[in-house]
Amino acid sequence: MTIITTKKPFEEIVVAIKDIKRITIVSCASCAAMCQTGGTEGAKEMAEKLEAEGFEISTVIVPEEVCDNRVMKTDFRKIEEELRHTDAILTLSCGLGVASITEVLSNKFPLIPVFVGTNTEFMGMTERIGRFYMRCQGCGDCLLNETGGICPITTCAKSLMNGPCGGMVDGKCEVGKYEKDCGWVLIYKRLKELGRLDLFSKLRESVNWSERGHQREVVWR
Amino acid sequence: MTEKKIYSKLGEKLASGEFILTGELEPEKTTDLSHTIHEAKQMAPYVVAANVTDSPLGIVTINSMAATHIIQRESGLECIWQLTVRDVNKLGIAGMMMGAHALGIRNVLSLTGDHTALGDMPESKPVFDLDSATLVKLVREMVDKGSINGYEIEAPPKLHVGAAANPNANPVEAEILKIGRKAEAGAEFIQTQVVYDIEKTIEFLTGIKKYNVPVLLGIFPMKSYGIAKGFDEFVPGVSVPKEILAQWKSIKKEFPDKKMQKEAYDQANYEFFKPFISELKKKKLLAGVHCMAVHYPRIFPKLQEVVFG
Repeated sequence: MTIITTKKPFEEIVVAIKDIKRITIVSCASCAAMCQTGGTEGAKEMAEKLEAEGFEISTVIVPEEVCDNRVMKTDFRKIEEELRHTDAILTLSCGLGVASITEVLSNKFPLIPVFVGTNTEFMGMTERIGRFYMRCQGCGDCLLNETGGICPITTCAKSLMNGPCGGMVDGKCEVGKYEKDCGWVLIYKRLKELGRLDLFSKLRESVNWSERGHQREVVWR
Repeated sequence: MTEKKIYSKLGEKLASGEFILTGELEPEKTTDLSHTIHEAKQMAPYVVAANVTDSPLGIVTINSMAATHIIQRESGLECIWQLTVRDVNKLGIAGMMMGAHALGIRNVLSLTGDHTALGDMPESKPVFDLDSATLVKLVREMVDKGSINGYEIEAPPKLHVGAAANPNANPVEAEILKIGRKAEAGAEFIQTQVVYDIEKTIEFLTGIKKYNVPVLLGIFPMKSYGIAKGFDEFVPGVSVPKEILAQWKSIKKEFPDKKMQKEAYDQANYEFFKPFISELKKKKLLAGVHCMAVHYPRIFPKLQEVVFG
């Protein structure tokens, strides 16, 4: 699994950090490196571009996994001196990385703002580098046992529980000019293949949103 | 078996098994419903009720519940309030059901609705908290049990709820099984997407017969060649047969006189739909016909002959 990121337009980044002088770049060696938005290469490219715009680079680090607080605690310990002379951090990672950095720095360097140079797209299935697909949204109530392993929440543009809808034409979806497959037709075909149309025929309840609140957490007690 | 409760003229006709005709009204992006009310009055002598659309194609129009209420009040024609699950969540919809009853609405058609991305406010959040089947189920709980989510409603709404079906769907089996879900949810009638292909229609209607829900077949008599062509091009999943398009085109050419042209179109519609409906009636696959041709009220006298003649 990879958290898929894409590069933010450079101009947008420049606008966000326009009042900043000295920048530390934190570039993730994990998912973002795979998406070619982070890693060593991404950091180098960003540092050059920022310098060309007149920004000063305090330091660059490429942690193994920016989203892991433990990794960041260790890595930030090594650059404490540089952090004292930095005005902001620019992160080349997913949004989890931004959160992780902010939380880890909250004690010692609470006043360093953390900016992000990417857009976090989705958690993706990798076909090969450069071909990443959303197949699961991590909704917390997995239906896959009943839908032939194909998620309607993700593959149906309307996340319907009882599809296909009237927007399906010849197995394609009305959203996106009939270029993408209708998720419910994929489910129908798969369940038919498996001899389990009984599952397809089942009337499903609507999603229980009371259990899909914000700030979800998994905490072992 | 408990006696079927009747809340509307539509409910009464469906229960009686009498063959019926329903129409369709499409309010626009306006607060002034005078044109729609005028059309409703023209249609009223011929139909049991008329659907009132809910921002079709995701293009925002006057709210369908408000429009339904006003059209009923001003024209006297009973309406079938179309409600999509696109724009309002479950909580909102439950409230609307009570509001609709209080406003005198007695029929609702449960629809998914065209995605917001297709319309003129694509940046709007697509809701789809319910779907067309779970909306039917919600209405039936409110109406039959007088409760919502298990909580009692002091004076519950009384509405008949219907659902849509698409005989043109491919793969058709997925659509048939989906109708099974809608029937299980409690749909009291089905109105279909527009059809032109008799074989496909028979296959589909035969496929859903086992669910025992009365079906009103969607047809679209075409007012002009332009309308026929536009319908063929812009309505996804429905194609107007080539021969029809050719025939309508030749009418346009042949009759420069507007009055004669209109008569020729009306007659051509009659000749196409008459045998079509007769055959389906003979096979006992229909409870009635739903005419979706909006802004074409002059066709109703001829349509009456098609449907009842």
